Amino acid sequence: MKLWMPWALSRCGGNRNSLHRNRLCLLAFQRGCQTRPVHTAEAEIQPLLNADNGTQTDPQDHLIYQLPPKGELRPESPGLRDFLHRVEDMVVKELASNAKSHAFDGFDVNWEDQNETVSCIHCLQHPSAQEKGLQVTSISWSCTGSVIACAFGRVDDGDWSTEKSCVCTWNLDRRGLNPKRPDMVIDVARPVMSLSFHPSQPSLIAGGLYSGEVVVWDTNRTQDLILAQTGMSTDTHREPVYQVAWVPGPRRGEMVVLSAGSGGRVLLWTVDSDEGRLVLSAGFALIRQQVPHNSALSKNRGSSNVGVTSLALSPWDLDTFLVGSESGLVLKCSFSAQTLAAAPPDGESVTLRAPAQFSFSPRGGPVHSLHCSPFHRNLFVSVGTDGLAHLHSLLQPDPLLSLRVSDSYVFGVRWSPTRPLLFAAATGQGLVQIFDLGRKSLRPAATLDQLTGGQPVYCLEFNPRRKDLLAVGNADGSVNIWHLSTELTEQGPRETAKLEQLANEVAE
Amino acid sequence: IATFLGRKLQPRPQNEVEETLKRIQGQKGVQGIIIVNAEGIPIKTTLDNSSTVQYAGLIHQLVMKARSTVRDIDPQNDLTFLRVRSKKNEIMIAPDKDYFLIVIQNPSD
Repeated sequence: MKLWMPWALSRCGGNRNSLHRNRLCLLAFQRGCQTRPVHTAEAEIQPLLNADNGTQTDPQDHLIYQLPPKGELRPESPGLRDFLHRVEDMVVKELASNAKSHAFDGFDVNWEDQNETVSCIHCLQHPSAQEKGLQVTSISWSCTGSVIACAFGRVDDGDWSTEKSCVCTWNLDRRGLNPKRPDMVIDVARPVMSLSFHPSQPSLIAGGLYSGEVVVWDTNRTQDLILAQTGMSTDTHREPVYQVAWVPGPRRGEMVVLSAGSGGRVLLWTVDSDEGRLVLSAGFALIRQQVPHNSALSKNRGSSNVGVTSLALSPWDLDTFLVGSESGLVLKCSFSAQTLAAAPPDGESVTLRAPAQFSFSPRGGPVHSLHCSPFHRNLFVSVGTDGLAHLHSLLQPDPLLSLRVSDSYVFGVRWSPTRPLLFAAATGQGLVQIFDLGRKSLRPAATLDQLTGGQPVYCLEFNPRRKDLLAVGNADGSVNIWHLSTELTEQGPRETAKLEQLANEVAE
Repeated sequence: IATFLGRKLQPRPQNEVEETLKRIQGQKGVQGIIIVNAEGIPIKTTLDNSSTVQYAGLIHQLVMKARSTVRDIDPQNDLTFLRVRSKKNEIMIAPDKDYFLIVIQNPSD
């Protein structure tokens, strides 16, 4: 198609006739287009308020690496067979020669200073409590191991006591430690019978009072130190609370307070810090008729409640706890027991359950202290007024071993946190006897004289962080901190195996 | 030739790896065996999960450090075996390019 030059185009046009006749004339149009004018404008913005935000997953507690989940089984790793083929002979040869080798016999390495002696490094006192003749009823180390708290009260008084007492704390790591002046004194309206520091928050202390109340103090506060208390309600104990402890609660990371008293009740309290109250969340009642295998004691008349004088939690099984009673019973109990207690309802807000599952052979008098071994899941030791320390296995009623600790009452017993075969017992004669089950002789490995002039020792606790410290609370109102020798704190070879052997022996 | 539904059955490969581990486990005093791959991830173990993961992570780092120590002293040298003796037991580690074999032994058992 040819292009017509513009002059040719302009010749077309003119009148209509020429348009119609001249077929070669092309019509051409030119058009342009343009949008309407575009409106533009400039503006600036700037935020007035800033906020930062971030997210993070929960830290993995114990794992550095993850094992591949069971579902995705990896195929047999390539080259594994050949690798093992290469190294097997060398490894087997080394293992065999190592088993026969005497190269390291008697070879010992000292990483730390050896301490040959046992010495009392602090004698902590609160003069005003001593003047009133108050005794140390319970002591507790904080979870960091630097603060020791002691509760004052009276153990020998038979009457209902409304005496004012206190809880004192000393920080042993502080430079200006004055043994005669506690760092903190918490005044309490009633005698305090038991004390327990929170296992992870170093400022919280739970205490059980003679009146049956349970209180939680927060030492971080400046004003009123009471974080939460039970008050005198229908839920509280009616009798002195001889044991308090912190146990894991239903929600992860939450701890609840357990209290046990001579009214036969074991109660669990949740801390409601906003209201300042301890709210009863679960409860157990020990009734004599519901104690298993109880033929010997059913003849007793009197209260059907089994008064609790001591309690021990098992570090191996969070569901089990042991209870020692005023009448000498030692019971294995379970937190998850469902049987309802045969106690008449007394206005409590929760239904009480009967926790006792198994009854160990009874003692003649109150069981003052129980402790589960941190090195063997079945072993525990109990002491009471018969002057003996009984080593029990959870699996049988009779004790595995009974050691004579003292001619008078024994008030406290604790296993060593570092040596599986060692435990210490506090006697009514003012001595702490330390027994080593690995020794052939049944006599104590060490005797610590508290120099109280024959007054009893009521409680003792090993420091959870510093393995060479032992705190002992005495009836004269003083707390002695002992520094133990290396022999009493260093674990020897094969101790766990020997403990296992002991646990497996059947009592004759 | 064994057949099943007309298809030839392949002979099952003997589980040599398991046999070898059993032989090593049977030596006197052996408490546990762990095989770790080059990234430090355990692929076979006779211990419980949490101990395995702990050993694997810590020993992998130790072997790497030991190997670099040997090679820094003499670049032509290389680590062949590592033994860590402690009060309670001895850990023997046989390293390789792709795997480590970790054996925990208590020689006095």
